[in-house]
Amino acid sequence: MSGAQRAIVVETRPSPGMPRPYEFPPFERHRLANGLDVLVVEMPGRPLVSASLVILHGAADEPALDGGATVLAARALSEGTDVRDAVALIEAAERLGASIHAEAGWDATSLSVDVPAARLEPALELVAEMAARPTFPASEVERLRDERLNDLLQARADPRRRADEAFVATIYTPASPYHRPAGGERETVRQLDPDRLRATHARAFDPRRMSLVVAGEIGRLDVVRIAKHLLDGWAPSPSVRPSGPIVAESALSRRLVRVVHRPGAVQTEIRIGHPGLPRRIPDFHAVSVMSAILGGLFNSRLNMRLREEKGYTYGAGAGFELRRAAGPFSARAAVNTGATVPAVADFLAEIARIRDERVTEAELRAARDFLVGVFPLRFETPGPVVGALSGIVVHGLPDDELARYRPAIEAVSVDDVRSAAETHIDLDRAAIVLVGDADAFGPALESAGFGPVVIERDEGPRTEGPLEGVEDELGPIDVGPAGPTEGADETSVETSVERTDDPTGVKTGSEGLDGR
Amino acid sequence: MPTVPLVAFSDQRLANGLRLIIAEDHLAPVVAVSVWYNVGSKHEVPGKTGFAHLFEHVMFQGSAHVGKAEHIALVQAAGGTMNGTTWLDRTNYFETMPSHQLELALWLEADRMATLLDALSQENLDNQREVVKNEKRWSYDNRPYGSWNEKLQAHLFPPEHPYHHSTIGSMEDLEAASLDDVKGFFRTYYAPNNAVLAIVGDVDPDDARQWTERYFGGIPANPDIPPLGDLSLPPTLGGERRETVIDRVPLPRVYFGFRAPVYGDRRLDALDIAGQILAGGKGSRLHRRLVREERLAQDVALFTLGFIGGASITAGWATARPGIDPGALERAFLEELDRLAAAPVSEDELARARALVESDELGALARVEERADRLAMYATLFDDPDLVNRMLPRYLAVTADQIRDVCAAVFRADNRLVLTYLPEIPPADSSVEPADQPLDEEVAA
Repeated sequence: MSGAQRAIVVETRPSPGMPRPYEFPPFERHRLANGLDVLVVEMPGRPLVSASLVILHGAADEPALDGGATVLAARALSEGTDVRDAVALIEAAERLGASIHAEAGWDATSLSVDVPAARLEPALELVAEMAARPTFPASEVERLRDERLNDLLQARADPRRRADEAFVATIYTPASPYHRPAGGERETVRQLDPDRLRATHARAFDPRRMSLVVAGEIGRLDVVRIAKHLLDGWAPSPSVRPSGPIVAESALSRRLVRVVHRPGAVQTEIRIGHPGLPRRIPDFHAVSVMSAILGGLFNSRLNMRLREEKGYTYGAGAGFELRRAAGPFSARAAVNTGATVPAVADFLAEIARIRDERVTEAELRAARDFLVGVFPLRFETPGPVVGALSGIVVHGLPDDELARYRPAIEAVSVDDVRSAAETHIDLDRAAIVLVGDADAFGPALESAGFGPVVIERDEGPRTEGPLEGVEDELGPIDVGPAGPTEGADETSVETSVERTDDPTGVKTGSEGLDGR
Repeated sequence: MPTVPLVAFSDQRLANGLRLIIAEDHLAPVVAVSVWYNVGSKHEVPGKTGFAHLFEHVMFQGSAHVGKAEHIALVQAAGGTMNGTTWLDRTNYFETMPSHQLELALWLEADRMATLLDALSQENLDNQREVVKNEKRWSYDNRPYGSWNEKLQAHLFPPEHPYHHSTIGSMEDLEAASLDDVKGFFRTYYAPNNAVLAIVGDVDPDDARQWTERYFGGIPANPDIPPLGDLSLPPTLGGERRETVIDRVPLPRVYFGFRAPVYGDRRLDALDIAGQILAGGKGSRLHRRLVREERLAQDVALFTLGFIGGASITAGWATARPGIDPGALERAFLEELDRLAAAPVSEDELARARALVESDELGALARVEERADRLAMYATLFDDPDLVNRMLPRYLAVTADQIRDVCAAVFRADNRLVLTYLPEIPPADSSVEPADQPLDEEVAA
């Protein structure tokens, strides 16, 4: 065996070459006569074009009694128009090699498509038809509604989704839409019918609140002409008004511990946090750097302590989900059951430390260099460019937000990081939500002094501490297309290839454990 | 129809056997590095399942000039992303970097290929053993239906075949892994002549060659890499296999598995297109019938996992809607497979499948990371990196008759595994009836 032969190695670490200048690709903005904005980005050499029609209406804008209507209405856009039925729509898109994704999240609704540039116009024709002329056929709406109800059942059995749902239901006041899953809960979803979806559509879809974002090798294609042709005939609707402010208040007046008991579970899903921040904040860049150091980078404080020192977990992270109103701040991991209480103690210690002590210059540099350096990697292809510009539209950010991103990150100081942590993280009014085998760690948890403990068992909520009335209304936080996500896959060293920041604005820090 | 732009690349070997593939693309200031080792979980011996993957974790624990977890720290501080993955036939490590940081990525990969054992410690091995055990809990043991993947391999491959066990391995075997195992595995398989290095993106090929020679050139080859035994298998299972699993799930789900032709076989191309026609989106046959029309299923899936030794896997599933008999769901699913095996698809249906496959390929190959991955994969598995340019034309050339023929050969009752997951307790707030179908073999998950 050749192992005995020593390798000749170069000991010195190479230093970087000269960085090639990079600018976020410039975009042009046009407003059609009916108020619809068109944003176009030329990306040479990218013949697969990405396009998204973004509607400024999300699940956070719907009345509580309609919970789930926005997400369901978005999904039902492809179920038939006054021109074509669902199967004809799907087949027409497939002939173009295009899959059209219609979906809604908290902040917006979108219809997106990736398609070769030569077929952009017919693909956008389908998008426009689905957005403007959906019929919401009763039978298909009923099917999608039932699929959502079944998905809610599935979510209860999945410890990750159960933890996410219990977490938001614990930290937000019931008056906040963020208290519930974006796709709605059983009580409201079961009431949804074509009339409610039509009402949602009529309330939300107005050209003055819509933008078409297109990126790729556009060449001589006249996207504005196409948009005019397909969308300018859509008259503004006088009944559409921007919705009011989004309630995002905390339900927490103290720190508390909520356990959802899962007998025999080999791991405990941990969520720790509280309502966090909206996207439009003056210290966005400091928050991004702070989140990266606490729980975003692989070598973040949380991952190094819980994974690389202790071996409690496959991955630990933390970050802010930045929405139009204050989305959650959460720290998260799945740990082996026996490590539950010490892992929570480590989480609390690291979260306290980022508030109480300055980060080191080396930590600051590593986080800034990562966020600045990874920026061009993110925008290699049209899809993420469209996503970033959609973020600018949805959050009402200035047009130079992306051009400004890297200098703004470079300017973040140690004191800015400290101040961001002190201002935006509050362990005294935080929830610790655990989904796991309470019989294995309950007594140790009670005596650990993290806060009053409420344990809910499968037969229903049972209060074991001083806290009364924690609701048991859990539903999935995820609003992605219904369906299984787990597939046979290779086994990797990291939970997620990108545990990083979104420069435009949806998430800072870890993207959670399900990112792969 | 647009076609994927040709990937022009150079392909050479260093004196120590390291295969170096370089492709230029200066559109974005980004470069991808992909290192593939020709070793996977199929090289594990009995009692050591899961070891190739545990070893992959150890590769991030430092080498002579890189500290524990510092590999990732240096890549991220350079503005890069990275990961490593283990699969049955191979193990890969990759970085995507701002292009001016390419040399650092090459140095990091070379340092661990050359000197991993200098930094090896019991403490780091024990730590990563715990991390991997938590990965297994997270990905399999604490997940609804989480055992299906292990059961699929265990049923489709005989116990003496190295595809019989999953890449994650067993807790007992992970527990037994020792420092000596790490040393032996490294010395045997982590040699330059057992690796492919692909560099794709904003790179000067002369620089890349020079750096590769400087950092990897002094790493000795291992002339004695033991060949794998004969992995060949009969093309079919030789009889239907069934198992019923009681799990903590609210809805029954039926999984299907079949032995399929090996990866690289043209018949597998046709089977991939069949998967698109059967379950590739809302226009597919299974989705249309089971989800949209008959409303038996909450969701459906069907896909191929290509392996080079003995047989590949085609697998799929359907989740039953509340109140639906899993037996009826199974029958409807299998009828659709039989229908594709009985008559050729229409030209329109095939054209739609081709158009979707083409868009998917265009989208995937637009990224330098994917192109590096494909070049290294095709070189490692088939000694043929140019497949990066030929796979899409191969897919687009698949005919209706070829699809019918491969479906007839694969979707046979005597080549089929049916795994039925049933709820431990039917959910109180649904209309699920207690399952009254016969249980063939009851196994608690």
